[in-house]
Amino acid sequence: MVAPESPLDDIGRFDLSLSTVDTESAVSQVEKLLDDGVAPVTVLSDVIVAAQAKVGQRWQRGEWTVAQEHAATAVAIAATEAVGRYARRVPVTRGHVLVTCAEREWHALPATIIGYAMRSGGWDVTLLGASAARSRLTQHLHDVGPDAVAVSCSVLGALPATRRFIEASAAAGIPVIVGGPAFSYDPLRALALGATAWAPDVRQAVVALNDLPAVIPPALPLPVAPAAEQADLDRNRRRLVAAVDALWSVTAGDTATGPATLDSLRAVAGDVVKQSLNAVSAALITNDPRAVAYTAEWVEQVLTARGADTRAVVELGEVLARVLGAYPLAHDLVDRHWARSTIL
Amino acid sequence: MLGRARLRADLAGELTAELSGSLNLRRTRLRIFGLLQPRFAEWVMLALPDGRPGGVVLHGGTDARVTSTATLDPDQDSGLGRVLRTGVTALFRSATDAELDQTVPHPALRAAAAGLFPADVLALALVARGATIGALVVLRGPGRRFEAEDVALAEQIAGRAAMALDSARIYEERSHVASVLQAGLRPPTLPSIPDARVSARFRAAAEHMEIGGDFYDVHGSGDDWLLTLGDVCGKGVEAAVLTGRTRQSIRTAAYFDRSPAKVLEALNSVLYDADSERFVTVVCARLRPEPGGEHATVDLAVAGHPSPLIVRAGGEVEQVEITGMATGILPGVRYKEVSVRIQRGDTLLMFTDGVDEARGEDGYYGMDRLLRLLSAYAGAGPEIVCEAVEQDVVEYLDGRTHDDIALLALACGR
Repeated sequence: MVAPESPLDDIGRFDLSLSTVDTESAVSQVEKLLDDGVAPVTVLSDVIVAAQAKVGQRWQRGEWTVAQEHAATAVAIAATEAVGRYARRVPVTRGHVLVTCAEREWHALPATIIGYAMRSGGWDVTLLGASAARSRLTQHLHDVGPDAVAVSCSVLGALPATRRFIEASAAAGIPVIVGGPAFSYDPLRALALGATAWAPDVRQAVVALNDLPAVIPPALPLPVAPAAEQADLDRNRRRLVAAVDALWSVTAGDTATGPATLDSLRAVAGDVVKQSLNAVSAALITNDPRAVAYTAEWVEQVLTARGADTRAVVELGEVLARVLGAYPLAHDLVDRHWARSTIL
Repeated sequence: MLGRARLRADLAGELTAELSGSLNLRRTRLRIFGLLQPRFAEWVMLALPDGRPGGVVLHGGTDARVTSTATLDPDQDSGLGRVLRTGVTALFRSATDAELDQTVPHPALRAAAAGLFPADVLALALVARGATIGALVVLRGPGRRFEAEDVALAEQIAGRAAMALDSARIYEERSHVASVLQAGLRPPTLPSIPDARVSARFRAAAEHMEIGGDFYDVHGSGDDWLLTLGDVCGKGVEAAVLTGRTRQSIRTAAYFDRSPAKVLEALNSVLYDADSERFVTVVCARLRPEPGGEHATVDLAVAGHPSPLIVRAGGEVEQVEITGMATGILPGVRYKEVSVRIQRGDTLLMFTDGVDEARGEDGYYGMDRLLRLLSAYAGAGPEIVCEAVEQDVVEYLDGRTHDDIALLALACGR
């Protein structure tokens, strides 16, 4: 009998497979763990999610290019599918869950991981994939009649569509469990959007399924003024992005019509502008100004890692406030919560 | 008294809004339990005939999610059987054991109900569209009688519930037919190919239908594979039916000759002879990866379809030079074939016009935008390339309607 190895060794080895883009090694490691009797949810949560978090941090710190991040993610997807093949052998003993990403959420991997974790917990699972149309969700709600809907949300820009998914599910009486980085570290945003439950991680998501009510009432309407302002921001999104791009020194004066490389400061800055406006929208509908403050911190890390000056972050806050002048609540959010820590 | 009056008013109000919220039979049942239990009654059971002689499916009791079955005695003219036969409500005040036996034909359910005794048992017929589709049985525990107003409300509830259940049943039957037929028309699961990687995406114009006029398919074995992607003119169900036939014709043709040009010639003849008004555009690729996956040979033929793009590892993007007429228009068409070589790090992408002809605020998405995007994703591999193109096109659309979008990408190596 060999002494069990530390899970840290497994993470280290798996991480190396991601870094070296060694799909075969990643898949065989995962399969070995499962063959050794490690629970699928443990492999998903303690190995794949843990390693994937590092991948994101490396990009954020500018240590990895977008291509490296993508290549590593493709390996993680292959490893997750391997767990899926094991999870599907578990007999279905519980209800049916629809696992999905709302429109504008393109990170399908976290939803897939959640889906396979639930499947290995005895739930029947239907995965709708990245950026599912609301009409598709509704069709499945009627056709499948699931016991629960699980919405994975990584980016703030998908929170408004996630709210519409919650409304659609609640209208059919179906409880909704949400999770992902866009919901931050506590249930505040989830509850503000009318979700039935919030899960901080993969394991908790599976556990939370057991405690959901069979039927829930329709979602209460969001507070009128911030919801209306968010809808206006959404309608004018392209114009607002263009206005910020034109005024902010990092993006201004650029005539290229698209990114030549995905790692240029220009390409990253373009994303930063969109994310910042998404953060304001998210803060409006969730009544959580931390969305703005956290995004400012994230922007600072992403930009300074790529050679920009901290002052660019402060300047972006000023530009946002100016462009959002006609939107009093949004303007106030930026004014009060953008980049407090970075003001010189 | 005021409390009871308010409960009755609340229930009547919620009934309309909530029972119409789902077309799903099981969710509608859970909804009915959610409305009634425990506010209106402690114990609620739905009895729905299941098509067997005397057979009923019993839902609920104390737990809404529990389902069991029973067979009613055809000679019994009382209790549940009578309600189902006559469509007339029966109320048993402080029901006797015998009355409970006749109304709740299942030992476990009966035991749970008896725990509430002495209780009023109310059995209501569910009548929808002129037929009795089942019965709703409710129990109130000691000290909570069914007053005349309660019975009137229960009948109103039963009427609404019956209509909702019957609509959901009709929907479920149609939806079952549709989903079985649909399953055969959905894009297939991709096989795993030794020394090569493939990835695909499909987004239907009618996204909730999950089927449409674009299609792709991958079949073969060992070191010889056939990949096809195409577009049936038109969209929706009618187009999807023809994609099914097209895929099948291609598979059969490839069984006799795996040359892409020959496959397209056979497909053209089959579709032309079928006398259909519709034509089909196709790109057909025969992939032969070399052992180890450093290189692969790809033979290509196209029929009225944009030719594939090759994203080289270094970032150059080239469109394969080959043309051919759409299938199903003229008899006896001959197709040209071209052979290209891809190396590790290159990605070959087949796509439908739902990509370049996607219309956003600035007009068509266009080939230039696609080429620029692909150049930035050089070396990223089929999964990431498909994901990037799908995301960029859908974000460009920004919620506007679109045609079917299909992508199929391949690369050599693992």
